[in-house]
Amino acid sequence: MTDAIALRGVGRTFPGKRPVAALDGIDLTVRAGEFVTLFGPSGSGKSTLLRIIAGLERADAGTVEVLGGTPREAALRKDIGWVPQNAALLPWSRVRANAGLSGLVNRRADRAPHPQRVPQDVDGMLAEVGLADFADARPGQLSGGMQQRAALARVFVQGAPLLLMDEPFSALDEITRSAVRLQLLDLWERHRKTVVFVTHSAEEAALLSDRVIVLSPRPGRIAAEIAVPIPRPRADCAADSDAVRAAEREITAALRAGASG
Amino acid sequence: MSARRLALAIGAPAALLVLLGLLWSWTAAANPSVLPPLGALPAEFAARPDFYLRNLGHTLGSALSGFGIGVGAALALAIAVVHAPVLRSAVLPVALLLNVTPVVAIAPALVVAFGFTQVPNIVVAALTAFFPMLINALAGFQNVDRGSLEVFNSMAASRTDVFLRLRLPGSLRYLFAGARLSASAAMIGAIVSEFTGSTRGLGATIVTATTYLNLPQMWVAILVSALVSLTLLGIIGLVERIVVRW
Repeated sequence: MTDAIALRGVGRTFPGKRPVAALDGIDLTVRAGEFVTLFGPSGSGKSTLLRIIAGLERADAGTVEVLGGTPREAALRKDIGWVPQNAALLPWSRVRANAGLSGLVNRRADRAPHPQRVPQDVDGMLAEVGLADFADARPGQLSGGMQQRAALARVFVQGAPLLLMDEPFSALDEITRSAVRLQLLDLWERHRKTVVFVTHSAEEAALLSDRVIVLSPRPGRIAAEIAVPIPRPRADCAADSDAVRAAEREITAALRAGASG
Repeated sequence: MSARRLALAIGAPAALLVLLGLLWSWTAAANPSVLPPLGALPAEFAARPDFYLRNLGHTLGSALSGFGIGVGAALALAIAVVHAPVLRSAVLPVALLLNVTPVVAIAPALVVAFGFTQVPNIVVAALTAFFPMLINALAGFQNVDRGSLEVFNSMAASRTDVFLRLRLPGSLRYLFAGARLSASAAMIGAIVSEFTGSTRGLGATIVTATTYLNLPQMWVAILVSALVSLTLLGIIGLVERIVVRW
C-alpha cells in the first residue's frame, strides 16, 4: 500500500502574548485505504493536526504530504473530503443539493478528475444512507442523526480518496451516535477510502479504526500507536464485544500513560 | 395559525388603535390647538386627494431612489470589505461619521450644492439608508457557519462560490432586516430633507401646514407618510417570506 499521508516533524504554535504550542514533532504515515483515528484529551491538538492535513491550517514546522503533494494541491483536485463537527448542511438547500455540493463548487477540478477520486451518484448515495425519501426535504426538517447521514452522503458523493472527520458524531445522543457510526462503517467497508477520524470516544476509536494514534496533552505529541486487529467487516460487531472492549481498554491505558508521562 | 392566535393578532392592534383614537379625541376636545378632531382627517384627505398623492409621489420617489442608491452602495462596500478585510478599518469610520452627522445639518448644505431640485432629497435619503444596510450586510456576510466554510475550503471553492453559495444565502435574514431599517430611514431622510428648500413632498406639506397652523393638513401628511412607511415594511416582509423559506 502507498502512503496517503506522510507527516514529518510537524509542529504548530499559536502566536499571542503567551504562545501556545499545540503540536510538536509529529511523525505519522497513513497508508491508502487505512482507517486511522486521532485520539487524545482536549487540547492535545487532534483537530489542529486534522486541519493541517486538510490544508485548513498551516504547520509551523515539518513537512506535510497528502496524496503525493501538498494539502493545497489535494484540495484543488477535490481529493479531500471534510466532515466537520456539525453536519454543516446549507439550510436553504434541499438534502439532494447538499449531498451534491461538491459538484457545484470548484468545477475546474471536475474537468479532469484525479483517477483516485470517484464521484458518486447523489440519489444513489442518499439511498445508501437511507435518505432517499428525504431528498427534497430541507436540513431543518431532519433529525440530528439524519443530518449527519446527509453529511456522510455529501462527502461520499464527492468521491475523494481521503476523508478527514473532525468529531463528526460528538453532538449526537448515544443511540443515534451508535447508528450513524455503523452507517459510516458500512459505507467505508463498501467504498474503502483513507480515513483520518478524530474522536474523544475510546469505544468509537476501537470499533472503527485499523490504527489509533494517541496524542499526549499540550503540546500534542504521539504518545502511542495502537493497532486494532478486530477482523472486518465490523458492521455486525457489537460495541460491547470482548474484542472491542479489549481494544478500548488498551487505548484508554495508552491515553492515561501519555497524560502522565 | 390557530383561531385564538389569529384573533389575538388582529384584536390586539385593533384594541390599541381604538384606545389611541379615544386618547386623540379626548386631547383634541380638550386642546383644539394641539390636535384636530379625528373626523377632520379623512375629510381633509377626501377634499384634496390629488394634492396629497402628488406630494406623496415626490417623497416616495426621493425615498425609493435614495433607498436604491444607499442600499446598493452599502452592499457593494460590504462585499468589497468581505473580500478585502483590510478595507474594513478604512470604511467603517467614514460610514460611522456619515451616520452620526445629523441629516438636518446636511440638508441645507446639499441645497446649496444642488439647488432647489429633488437631488438633495435623494442624497439625504441615500445617506440615511446606507448605514443600516452596511452594518447588517457586514454582519450577515461575516456570520458564516465555520463548519460549512471548512467544507467549502477543503474543496478549494473559489471566493465567488463561497460568496454566492454560502455567504449570500446565509446572510439573507440580515439583509432583509437591513432593508427594513433602510426603508424607514430613507422615508425619514426624504421627508426631513424636504423641510429645507423644497416646495414639494410630504415634508414641505408638513412645514407649510405648520406655518399656517393647518392642523388637519399637517396630520394627514404625517399619517400618509407613516402608512406608506408601513406599506414599504410590509412589502419587504412579504418578499422575505417568499425568499427565505427555511
